[in-house]
Amino acid sequence: MDNNKLGAKDFITIGIFTALLFVVEFACGILGFIHPYIVASYVIMIPIVGSVPMMLFYTKIEKFGMLSIMSVLLAIIMFVTGMGYLGAPLIIAAGVIADLIAKSGGYKSFKKTVLSHGVFCLWICANYFPVIVTADSYRKNLVDGGYSTEYCDNLFRAINSKTIAVLLILCFIFGIIGAFIGKAVVKKHFEKAGIV
Amino acid sequence: MALKLDPRTKLFMIFIVSAVVMMSATTPLLWAVRITMTMIPILLLIAEKHYAAALRFIVLYSAALLISFKFLSENSKGFLSAFLVGYCSIIVQFMPAVITAWYVVRTTKIGEFVSAMQKMHVPDGITISLAVVMRFFPTIKEEYSSIRDAMKMRGIMFGGGNVTDVVEYRMIPLLFSCVNIGDELSAAAVTRGLGGKVKRTSVQELKMGGADYMLILMFTAALVFFVVFKYMK
Repeated sequence: MDNNKLGAKDFITIGIFTALLFVVEFACGILGFIHPYIVASYVIMIPIVGSVPMMLFYTKIEKFGMLSIMSVLLAIIMFVTGMGYLGAPLIIAAGVIADLIAKSGGYKSFKKTVLSHGVFCLWICANYFPVIVTADSYRKNLVDGGYSTEYCDNLFRAINSKTIAVLLILCFIFGIIGAFIGKAVVKKHFEKAGIV
Repeated sequence: MALKLDPRTKLFMIFIVSAVVMMSATTPLLWAVRITMTMIPILLLIAEKHYAAALRFIVLYSAALLISFKFLSENSKGFLSAFLVGYCSIIVQFMPAVITAWYVVRTTKIGEFVSAMQKMHVPDGITISLAVVMRFFPTIKEEYSSIRDAMKMRGIMFGGGNVTDVVEYRMIPLLFSCVNIGDELSAAAVTRGLGGKVKRTSVQELKMGGADYMLILMFTAALVFFVVFKYMK
């Protein structure tokens, strides 16, 4: 395929990797039930664990739009699983910007890929959006909805409008670290096997 | 009785339920609306003969409801009770969305889904990718369980060893098989004319029936009712 339009094969690749990424996110999300501080540590876990499928995905990207579509899908899935629509703009913005960065490197330059993965990981922060934007009513909802006040206090100590900046930066940093780890893993397993 | 619903109705149901799930119920009346809304997909599951799944959801949901209601009033201190109540309320909170999503994914054929999305003029890229995501969760589960079996045979268990090994041993084989399945899937899809220039036709004829309109009406009413009683009082 020499034209710049995405073909059926690309869409299927996007679907597969979105499903894999969501499974990673879901597995990490379950851990969040244990303690609210773990919810805050999603910014570390998901970029690193998710980096392996993501870096494999990056090796398959050749055209503009694949990352953007993935972010739209993530936004849809987040909505369906009850995370709300507040984070959707952030998810899609992160996806499109990451796409543009990777495009500027021709989807081949490793430096640009690393940077792009860092930006893409910002979508994880969208999970926290309902907590921050609607802090007061969300807290009330949680308490009314049966979460213990202890859980809520801890949750809001870890995540509020002050720490969100830190969380965003952490996301970015660990996205970059994750990219290196993911690249190493992809090299170790997939390039040797000739899959990539 | 085989109740065939239009995929568009099902998508609408997901949409409404996810919206309601985000607003927590505070009064008994609102709880009643929510529980009724949860019961509809369960009843639909029974109508489609998914008895085991329906039973599992009913048991889980009512157990969680019971526990969170019974202990909600008492002051839940201490790790275990806070944990339990928190856990149950999360189930109560998100279960309606999970049940509806499960119902839709299980009972919608991919062909139906794709032609419904086409009728709603959703771009091809999103339709196809989303269809693959839907189709892929069961595959991932299947692949994962066979990988786990293989790991057991070699004596590699969760808990033993360090975390990175556990993640690596499971994720890499999973990625391998998913990539291969993806290649096969795209070969099969392209053979059937996906991604061609012409407008595809569908074997599935989609028509909105009486049941569809009734359900759409019911869910819209439930949403309006919920919003009015939560925010207008």
